[in-house]
Amino acid sequence: MAAPSSAEVVVIGSGICGALAAWRLAQQGLSVLILEAGPRIERARIVAAFRNSPYKSDWMSPYPFSPWAPQPDFTPKDNGYLIQAGPYRYPAEYIRVVGGTTWHWAAQAWRLMPNDVRIKTLYGVGVDWPITYDELDAWYQDAEEILGVAGADNTGSPRKHPFPMQPVAEPWSMRRFRERLAPAYPVVANTVARNSRSYGGRPACVGNNSCQPICPVNAQYLGINAVESAEAAGAKVVPNAVVYRIEPDAKGRIAAVHYYDPDKKSYRVTGKEFILAANGIESPKLLLLSATDKYPNGLANSSGMVGRNLMDHPSSSLTFYADEEVWLGRGPQSPSSINTMRDGAFRSQHAAYRLDFTNISQVLSVTEALIAEGVYGTEFEKQLRWRAARQVNVKNVLEVLPHPENRITLASEKDALGIPKPEAHYLIDDYTRRGADVSKKDFAKIAQLMGGTGLRYSPEGQFANNQHITGTLGMGSDPAKFVTDGFGRTHDHENLFCCGTGVMPTAATMNSTLTAVALALRTADHMHPAKSSAAAARAESPP
Amino acid sequence: MNAHIHKPALLLASLLSLGAVHAIAATAPASAASAAEVQRGHYLALAGDCEACHTAPGGKPFAGELPVATPIGSIVSTNITPSRSDGIGGYTLQQFSDAVRKGVRSDGKNLYPAMPYTAYAQLDDADVRALYAYFMHGVQSVDRRPPPTRLPFPFNIRASMAFWNLLFLDHKPFAPDPKQSAEWNRGAYLVRGLTHCGTCHTPRNFFMAEQSSRFLSGASLGTWFAANITPDPNSGIGNWGDQDIVQYLQRGSAPGKGQAAGPMAEAVDHSLRHLTGADLDAIALYLKSIPARRDPNITRAADSWGGSYADLASIRGKPLPKKPDQMTGLQLYDAYCATCHQDRGQGSFDGGLPPLFHNTATGRRNTDNLVMVMLDGIAWRTDGSGVRMPAFAQELSDRQVATLGDYLTQHFGDPAATVTVDQVRMLRAGGPSSNLVLLARIGLAVAIVILITIIVAIVWALLRRRRALPSH
Repeated sequence: MAAPSSAEVVVIGSGICGALAAWRLAQQGLSVLILEAGPRIERARIVAAFRNSPYKSDWMSPYPFSPWAPQPDFTPKDNGYLIQAGPYRYPAEYIRVVGGTTWHWAAQAWRLMPNDVRIKTLYGVGVDWPITYDELDAWYQDAEEILGVAGADNTGSPRKHPFPMQPVAEPWSMRRFRERLAPAYPVVANTVARNSRSYGGRPACVGNNSCQPICPVNAQYLGINAVESAEAAGAKVVPNAVVYRIEPDAKGRIAAVHYYDPDKKSYRVTGKEFILAANGIESPKLLLLSATDKYPNGLANSSGMVGRNLMDHPSSSLTFYADEEVWLGRGPQSPSSINTMRDGAFRSQHAAYRLDFTNISQVLSVTEALIAEGVYGTEFEKQLRWRAARQVNVKNVLEVLPHPENRITLASEKDALGIPKPEAHYLIDDYTRRGADVSKKDFAKIAQLMGGTGLRYSPEGQFANNQHITGTLGMGSDPAKFVTDGFGRTHDHENLFCCGTGVMPTAATMNSTLTAVALALRTADHMHPAKSSAAAARAESPP
Repeated sequence: MNAHIHKPALLLASLLSLGAVHAIAATAPASAASAAEVQRGHYLALAGDCEACHTAPGGKPFAGELPVATPIGSIVSTNITPSRSDGIGGYTLQQFSDAVRKGVRSDGKNLYPAMPYTAYAQLDDADVRALYAYFMHGVQSVDRRPPPTRLPFPFNIRASMAFWNLLFLDHKPFAPDPKQSAEWNRGAYLVRGLTHCGTCHTPRNFFMAEQSSRFLSGASLGTWFAANITPDPNSGIGNWGDQDIVQYLQRGSAPGKGQAAGPMAEAVDHSLRHLTGADLDAIALYLKSIPARRDPNITRAADSWGGSYADLASIRGKPLPKKPDQMTGLQLYDAYCATCHQDRGQGSFDGGLPPLFHNTATGRRNTDNLVMVMLDGIAWRTDGSGVRMPAFAQELSDRQVATLGDYLTQHFGDPAATVTVDQVRMLRAGGPSSNLVLLARIGLAVAIVILITIIVAIVWALLRRRRALPSH
């Protein structure tokens, strides 16, 4: 059957944000077409591929690579798709398949804090958001009820209604952190989209500890769940449809998009409204690619800000041995964290951060270390057991401020279909580095409270990346400074909307997905106000 | 011992007694029903699992509207709330009793035996009164009329059921066996009556009536297979301890035996888990006492097969085939099953995720339930556990289910049990297509042809006689 060549709403990208916006609009009876560059995949095949992969800690390795929809991969070596312009490396990974990158997320579903959207006013850094936390509250709640989110109540993000469920049972390791770090540090359950009970037709978590790269039982909400909901509501998904151009009409409205199939045959799809939801790197790439004589800098780019203000969450960390057996690896990978440094007057001086404990099984990393040290025989077994039981890790999740020079541009290199690759320009500023320095004192204190030995700090000045690609389609009310308005609509094109983490004008200290989902639902509701939207009702009448 | 089984003599007796009205003595007006009686009626309604059919998913309790699939078409359950306009609010106790025990509506028309009145006929008067009190005073009235049932000819003629009842309905309420204990009699009363186990577990004859001579010896429901629950140690549950049975009926699983899935999970979820320990003990005691029915082909108990087995190392590092249908049983096991049932099929340490060996799911020669559970998974609606096993109908092809099913029976279950692609296709489509409508129509046509033949013959004979008469 030929793919439709027209729909009332055309969505580019089938990740969690695009798919949920599509679902919301399809529910209203609109014809919705989702174009996804990558193929459709199946969970169990990914599970089998993960179990068979020699690169267990490479969360890209089980996912198929499609030459027509290349995705960045840096293990075992850089595959050269996301070009690194420097000066600092920005090795962000994402998955180009139906359902998008949440296939391998850890399901962290955090809200912002109220002050996160006003850091320019309060602390003189970054920018303010065009909306308040209160305005977003109802859509946060909506998102949390769709995804099935649970978490602690004292993380600094106030709420008017309870979470739809209790958190998954606290793993022993996290309990020991909580007990031994109190009262200096309150260790609380992370806010996650992971079922602690059967919810939304999906089972409860059974503790496989492979949330990344794949939840094998569908206990954490993924983009594919959103896609299936959208399809059930009537939306159509076209996989392997690589959009390479967005076409404006004479009046500046978007008339159509053009995509290639894997054989580079081109198709044109018309629509009344368009949602660009291809993630914080591919979305700006597509706008820049769509330059015309009338829009020489690309679409939606009269401000010159498309692709700029790239942000993420760099992390430094401390690994050490606790003085008791805690056995990381039982339960979800990322269950608990410390949230006391997410906000404060210090934000005028240095980055805010969360402190996050890994609960990933240490058997693999300890084994690799022992082999590298040349340990073998009975001593190997003894050491493996001792270290795997005691090795723990705490990392910071640091705020990054928006800087126009941190950006995604079009590289001169092209992919297999002849489309320019994205190029990342990235620098971690002193504001963020000062935050990292402050957090080192926390690391030391935590290690001390846990009776830590064998302390190994991540190398000075080096940061791991968290793939929270933010800021490249930033929202703000001033068309001269921002790409999108407070509802995600591009300032330049009346019928072109952006959904995804790219619209967030600052990155704050929390994983970005839930905020992007809440904003995407809000965008959809703004495009076509739902008569019975729970979120809209809540927004109008406080409890 | 066999008193509970509908003997032909009993059938005859019931035929003879049909004319007599079996009236129920109303000891008090319904409005005076005591809270205790309403509460007891609630318990009895749970035991009878009225809600299973009379509540649609997401619908109001007892408001009906659930289409119940039968071989002759879909029968829509009725509203049995006390609504006077759309429910049974206008029913007298006698009318209620006739509906429950005789399958006759207040307007005198017959119910279809999808309503298990052949089992409920065992109920005693006191329990019928309590049920009546509950449905009149303990249930929220819902003014909403479900769409009528429309069955194909000839089953749309409800009067045909009167004839069926003549043959197959035993009107007599349960008569305790004085030679047995009170507990045994309680178990017999429940199993043969309210909990209507035979509705699924007793095979039916050509006319869709339960074959009393094969009571509880196992029957296919088209898709799921209701097991033999007679006490034969190989074919039935003779090797189950009373506590295994009780735990199964309480939690839907008995470690080392099996788990409830499909309609049995519904029965436990909606009904059986609410029964008192004493009632469940009585059910177990009674089930262990009924005549054992043996299938000579079955030489071992379904839950005695298999053991822990792992060969996952043999596929490590080998690429998966491009075509999903070419995946081996082991590769499918690795991808779809091992996450919960673990690398050696051993399940979780606490048994919460069951082992696949010593499990009726893999050890039964009839593999329909193994296929069905892979396709449909296990979901409990009311006890809060929800999805106990995910459904794989959307993910696994017919070929994959067959390959995986064979792998499971080979390594964890009865090696002689097999799964075929055709079987999976048939079960996925909802079971074998029924010829019952066609057969009934053919039967009618034949009857009409015979009738016409007889008439023609008579007319012909008359004419011949006339011709034979001397002409005037």
